[in-house]
Amino acid sequence: MKVFHIYYRNTQGTLMRILTAVSRRGIEIPYLHAAASENGHRVDLLLEVNPKQIGQLCRDWHAIVDVSDVRVGVPTVEMLDGTGEMSGPQPPVAAGRRSAGAAMA
Amino acid sequence: MRRGAEIFLACLRAEGVELVFGYPGGAIMPLYDALEGSGIRHVLTRHEQGAVFAAEGHARATGQVGVAIATSGPGATNLVTGIADAKMDSVPLVCITGQVRSALIGTDAFQETDVFGLTLSLTKWSRLVRSIEEIPEVIAEGFHWAREGRPGPVVIDIPTDFLKAKMEFSGPAKFTPKRRPQDINGEGAFAHVISLLGTAARPVALVGAGAKLSGAIGELRQLLDALNVPAFATVHGLGAVPPTAPYYLGMVGMHGTRAANMALHETDLLLVFGARLDDRVTGDPTRFAPNARIVHFEVDPAQLDRVRSCEVPIVGDLAQTVPAFHKRISNAKLPDWTNWRGVACGPDRAELDPRGLAQPTIRFLDELFGRLPENSVILADVGQHQMWAAQRYRSALPRGFITSGGLGAMGFALPAAIGVQLSRPDATVLCVSGDGGFQMNIQELATVRRLNLPIKMVIVDNKYLGMVRQWQQLFYHRNYAETDLSDNPDFVEIAKAYRISASRLCEDAMSEYPVTEETGEAFERFLGSAEPELLVFDCAPEANVYPMVPAGAALSEMLFEEE
Repeated sequence: MKVFHIYYRNTQGTLMRILTAVSRRGIEIPYLHAAASENGHRVDLLLEVNPKQIGQLCRDWHAIVDVSDVRVGVPTVEMLDGTGEMSGPQPPVAAGRRSAGAAMA
Repeated sequence: MRRGAEIFLACLRAEGVELVFGYPGGAIMPLYDALEGSGIRHVLTRHEQGAVFAAEGHARATGQVGVAIATSGPGATNLVTGIADAKMDSVPLVCITGQVRSALIGTDAFQETDVFGLTLSLTKWSRLVRSIEEIPEVIAEGFHWAREGRPGPVVIDIPTDFLKAKMEFSGPAKFTPKRRPQDINGEGAFAHVISLLGTAARPVALVGAGAKLSGAIGELRQLLDALNVPAFATVHGLGAVPPTAPYYLGMVGMHGTRAANMALHETDLLLVFGARLDDRVTGDPTRFAPNARIVHFEVDPAQLDRVRSCEVPIVGDLAQTVPAFHKRISNAKLPDWTNWRGVACGPDRAELDPRGLAQPTIRFLDELFGRLPENSVILADVGQHQMWAAQRYRSALPRGFITSGGLGAMGFALPAAIGVQLSRPDATVLCVSGDGGFQMNIQELATVRRLNLPIKMVIVDNKYLGMVRQWQQLFYHRNYAETDLSDNPDFVEIAKAYRISASRLCEDAMSEYPVTEETGEAFERFLGSAEPELLVFDCAPEANVYPMVPAGAALSEMLFEEE
């Protein structure tokens, strides 16, 4: 498993372009975290990839207009465990049921 | 105060746009309403796919950005094949799509499609315009990215209410990219290449579309003359190297010449100039140029190491890197490769099997191409006729052979020929299609007629989806599943219904070669007319394109007949 840190300007669709470079190869993404960073935005992706795919992905990401940097690192324990906190269901189940009920009325 | 549509068109004019192709509809109507007096000529095609291919034809023939316009929903989705085609073949293209009113976006409104999301993986850059104020910046940036580096397609999706809205307009915007291309080359890279050349026994040069796109044809030809090593081209590189050059071996790849494929298989140093090295060029990637070290001149770093690692990447515009490298080798002492040239370019490796040269369609194309003026542009659709045409192409005109190479989109050639003819009114434009592909955009005969474009259209009619049938014959035990087109319509009558003159030539006319005076006159009538003309060439249903490298085989494992 490798973790990729991709730095990008958060323009329309840039994060999706980053992700489609992964999905078009049928690679699963067990961990993803995107957030604002010092000079723009950063997304961290944990991927099971071979050396050839690493090279191809890095080049594909670099070719995206608003990607500024790509780095490869070692995954943290949290990434591997997938222990990130989860919030409650959105919208809350009860609210969803209420809406459905109202719609049926 | 000016309407968004007027501002939009003014910004297109500022980008040098004079010609656009499109098809109107609900959401894009305000833009069409503002067209008159904008200084932009709009060509109405009969399908949005025709518009985007015509825009591609214009871009491929001129190097300028092609522009296609469509409405929201089905109009936009009909552009998708052309956008994918432009991505694969590095064509500068801007597609403008109308979108439903901004307030309705996301509500599954009538003719609403998420064209931005739909085309994300096919475009180099795209924007959904979010306000009238954004229009100038979005257009400036979109055109920049369509042209920059490795050219490609851009989508600008604009909600109809922003086209109708008004604002003060102070003029088109200018875009300055924040990111600078990284210069990862230096003297060290060139020195490395020279050292590789110094020890190479069998160097070769492979030329792709990048040589044309960069405008570095003259510089590349000078470099190849100086190197004097066997050279060959991809289908998009055709015309970059003069066919008369003594070291030129023709097209390489699945249907490449025997000489080119053998030299590529045997080389120990492969110099690649602006080519992606896709599977149609490499064959089995694990056995592609198995003994070669690779030097890759390429503007787009994403194209490096896709199928094989290159030892030295020379990243940058070939217009800069090629002359710089040429200058660097001018003082270098390089080995004498006379013997290798003698082997690679020798008569033992004739480009086609003699039986292939006698094939009626090959003779037909040779006869046709041989009668074309020098400045002609040949468009090939997709299939057997495409490969035959590529094999027989003999012009040194860099933008003289146009086809959908990467995507292989049937139906490309006829609408693309419209774009080419409008951009090159002085040129003879020959459009070669198969009977399958021609029917995919046959409606564009109406556009040809309306504009009275003197395009010379050829249908190589074997009453099959010929290339698929060839694969079925060779690799699927002749199970011709759903490739039979024996109930084709009468293309001559169809052309006449569009008020286009048409005639038919049977392959028997090619049995005498050189052709008879009568057949020669038929060619002259066809090519000499100032009107659009269609010529249907009836050929044998089971003729095959050879040589052929079967999928998954090495380039050295060419077939010359059914085994």
